[in-house]
Amino acid sequence: MPVNGLTWLVVLQLLGALLQQWLLPTLPGPIIGLLLLFIWLLFYGRLPKSLEAAASPLLQYLPLLLVVPCVGLMNNLDTLQSQWLVIAGSLFGAMLITIPLSGWLMQWLIRRQQQKRGRHD
Amino acid sequence: MIESLLASLQALKSTPEFAVGLTLVAFQVALLFYRKSKIVLLQPVIVAVTMVITVLLLLDVPYSDYQVAAEPVAFLIGPATIALAVPLYSQLRRIRQLFGPILITLLCGGSLTVILSVLFCWLLGGSEMLQMSLAPRSVTMPIAILVSDSLGGSMSLTAAFVMITGVFGAALAPWLLKLARVTEPAARGLSYGINAHAIGTVRALEESEECGAFSALGMSLFGVSLALLLPLLL
Repeated sequence: MPVNGLTWLVVLQLLGALLQQWLLPTLPGPIIGLLLLFIWLLFYGRLPKSLEAAASPLLQYLPLLLVVPCVGLMNNLDTLQSQWLVIAGSLFGAMLITIPLSGWLMQWLIRRQQQKRGRHD
Repeated sequence: MIESLLASLQALKSTPEFAVGLTLVAFQVALLFYRKSKIVLLQPVIVAVTMVITVLLLLDVPYSDYQVAAEPVAFLIGPATIALAVPLYSQLRRIRQLFGPILITLLCGGSLTVILSVLFCWLLGGSEMLQMSLAPRSVTMPIAILVSDSLGGSMSLTAAFVMITGVFGAALAPWLLKLARVTEPAARGLSYGINAHAIGTVRALEESEECGAFSALGMSLFGVSLALLLPLLL
């Protein structure tokens, strides 16, 4: 068990929860913890082995952990049943537009940058 | 004899050993099923959740009992969410030169997925709870459910929408991107990451390593920026 890395993650979660209570009520505690860890990594400049040892199994088994909140769906089965048309319409309507559009935009920006660089060379 | 066994089972159904055991076994079976069948629609989470819900309904266990008893598993979602800083950091170091295009695409594409989901839901007459549950649907699940909760949505509905988005996004994206003549691996990857999170990233990795890296980057960056900005804006 990578307890060293896990200790850091739990301490960061506690810190995140504290900051949420104290100053930032709109941000979820774990998100504040994530940001703190990210900023710390940027300053530290490399990834400590102990942290990686705890992070990679947690992320690998994230789908397992998420089963618990997902099971809450059993309380919303009636919403899914009565609203399925609204849900499907919103999901697929948005997807059909944003998937090609974000790909197209990125490609256009990459090619524009390449052209600019080409002119400078 | 059998009656006393059933009575004992009844007594156990609100204990952690039952809830945690059920969750673990269901996930292992679902994982085995996914690896054998290789059907994207049968994501381990979807199959495991279906199995757990079926058992709970059969044994007449309310979700609130299961939720309390399964807390040992659910607690680790917090540390795992914080651990998402690790892939974000590793990805950011890798890609420096396309920073401008990535940021612009993320900002436009990301806001569009949120705005369009909420807008279509509103136009189709969905309630505000449903709109808020749909808003964070295209980011990775641990972040999406936290954001949904702070916006006044339903965490479990959002979890379901995240799954549907990932599965169908990853299935539709190759075709939609071809239709829009998007051939750059970096552009395809970023679109996978913004629109279909982890499931899209798996699909992107099948195309090429570059495509997969950009998808992972898009997913991590979008998740964190949505968590930071959405609760402030809505």
